[in-house]
Amino acid sequence: MFAEDKLKATGMMSPRTLNFVGLAIIAVAVLLLCAVPMLPNYYIRVINLVLVYVLLGTGLNIVVGYAGLFDLGYVAFYAIGAYCYALLAGPQFGLHFPLLPVIAIAAVLGALAGILLGIPVLRLRGDYLAIVTLGFGEIIRIFLNNLDHVTNGPKGLTNLDRATLFGMQLRTPSDFYWLLLAMAILIGVFVFRVERSILGKAWLALREDQQAAVGIGIDKTRLKLVAFAMSATIGSITGVVFAAFQRFVSPESFTLQESILVVLVIVIGGIGNIVGVIVGAAVLIVVPELLREYAQYRMLIFGGALVIVILMRPGGIVPARWSPDAVLRRLVWR
Amino acid sequence: MTLELKHVTKRFQALTAISELSLKFEPGLIYGVIGPNGAGKSTLVNLVSGTFPPTEGQIALGRTDIHRLAPNKVSLAGIARTYQNVRLFDRLSARDNLEVCFYPTDKAGVWKEVLLPSYKRWKDSERRGHCDRMLQVCGIEEYAETPASLLPYGRQRILEIARALMRDPRVLLLDEPAAGLNHHETSDLRDRLKSLKHPDRIMIVIEHDMEMVMSLCDRIFVLNFGKLLFEGTPAEVQASELVKDAYLGTDDELDAIRAAAKDRKARGGLRAHADPRRH
Repeated sequence: MFAEDKLKATGMMSPRTLNFVGLAIIAVAVLLLCAVPMLPNYYIRVINLVLVYVLLGTGLNIVVGYAGLFDLGYVAFYAIGAYCYALLAGPQFGLHFPLLPVIAIAAVLGALAGILLGIPVLRLRGDYLAIVTLGFGEIIRIFLNNLDHVTNGPKGLTNLDRATLFGMQLRTPSDFYWLLLAMAILIGVFVFRVERSILGKAWLALREDQQAAVGIGIDKTRLKLVAFAMSATIGSITGVVFAAFQRFVSPESFTLQESILVVLVIVIGGIGNIVGVIVGAAVLIVVPELLREYAQYRMLIFGGALVIVILMRPGGIVPARWSPDAVLRRLVWR
Repeated sequence: MTLELKHVTKRFQALTAISELSLKFEPGLIYGVIGPNGAGKSTLVNLVSGTFPPTEGQIALGRTDIHRLAPNKVSLAGIARTYQNVRLFDRLSARDNLEVCFYPTDKAGVWKEVLLPSYKRWKDSERRGHCDRMLQVCGIEEYAETPASLLPYGRQRILEIARALMRDPRVLLLDEPAAGLNHHETSDLRDRLKSLKHPDRIMIVIEHDMEMVMSLCDRIFVLNFGKLLFEGTPAEVQASELVKDAYLGTDDELDAIRAAAKDRKARGGLRAHADPRRH
């Protein structure tokens, strides 16, 4: 009886029947993803940006969506990664590392920064946590802005190396498209598996009721630090690729507005759900691009649209039950 | 293992909730802790479960000093509790509410679980097996997939007790388990609690429902103003003039206390209508 209920719940009456419409949708989606490099460069750039925000959203979602800690300073980790690349693969210090070592270094530094931010804010929750993390984000940006000798201040660092990966140089937007797509898939699958592991469940328990979670023996300090570290690592790695793609970094890429945009990606898409992050990133990047022709009204229309979305779907565009595995199962089986 | 409180005092600034209290709990028995409002019953639960440390004195379970441990370590030492106002992981399913109790034992294998699908499948089915058996024992298996906040209030109480039982605790602290339950549910709960009696387990029940306490417990501690007023079997407690004066009162007052307890239950029941999206 229990198995039948489960079948009904996931919408498949007989698990052995393939859903051909769903399979066709998957095939078209894969074809479209493969066809992206044939588009004009402008479109590829927009799609790359979507992928960057999918990555950032997936990372921040660990802290905000799973562990329930509201973090408004996520851009700091993104900046740390970007400056890692700028300093290790650019003319500033004459260092010219290939991409992978920089990613490894940035991952470690990002994790350390995440723990460093995590320790002082362990006791904080909700609004207070948001304010402190917001401050952290701004501190990093101002630090980068004023540390002239190292970061070249507000002028930023230019003329960074072209990234090399496995001996190949990444030149065109479509090269970066493949890199970002591969990263998004790898990190997405990894984070989803963490979400479904006992660690992910412990995070959710911590989010739901911290005291009761401690009451069943969960070490909240460790769990929060792991969440901060993992999330920061993903932000930092994304920053490396962003810098490699732009070949230019400056503090103004890492303002509070970026942090808010990443939070919006999660909230608009559907909090705590990777499918939501993908939809949220697509909406929040593509819609402003579509509205470009309305020039000065662009942000007004965009803001209004966000208000309407939140009023109509307070839980985000994608319902929580549409988890990645549920969506996939529904597409494959009828 | 014996649970022992030695000269425990807990002060909240000027307020002394518990003063110089020494109690001894033997395994295999169900203990009732009663007393008027503000007698320090809930403080006692919070102290023993490690929510906060005592101002003075020691709490020991066997040879372990509970009062020195971090709150989550107290739970690992074998002390489990429920809360006066049910505290479940509202948006997690009933099964997940139980499954998450495996985190402390399974945390070392997390990365293996993430990276090896076959290991995760095995672990999942093992954990789920345990959880489903527990749900079945508690008679709430039909709610396995239901978010905890959507369970009927009485079932939420049961689920919370199930969660406390997951790690097979040596000490089970129940803070007003019958609050908010109707007469039928209360008697059902009493039978369930009786069946949880185990030679290695200390059960401590804090309760306002006198009929339940008297029919369930083997020994009763009566607290008043943070001190032990009386200790004995239910019959001795009911016969004691001291307890009557301090707590149960004359027949008229007894009715007043019943009414107050009912009111308390009704307030507890409000949570049954809680909106799961409120958080």
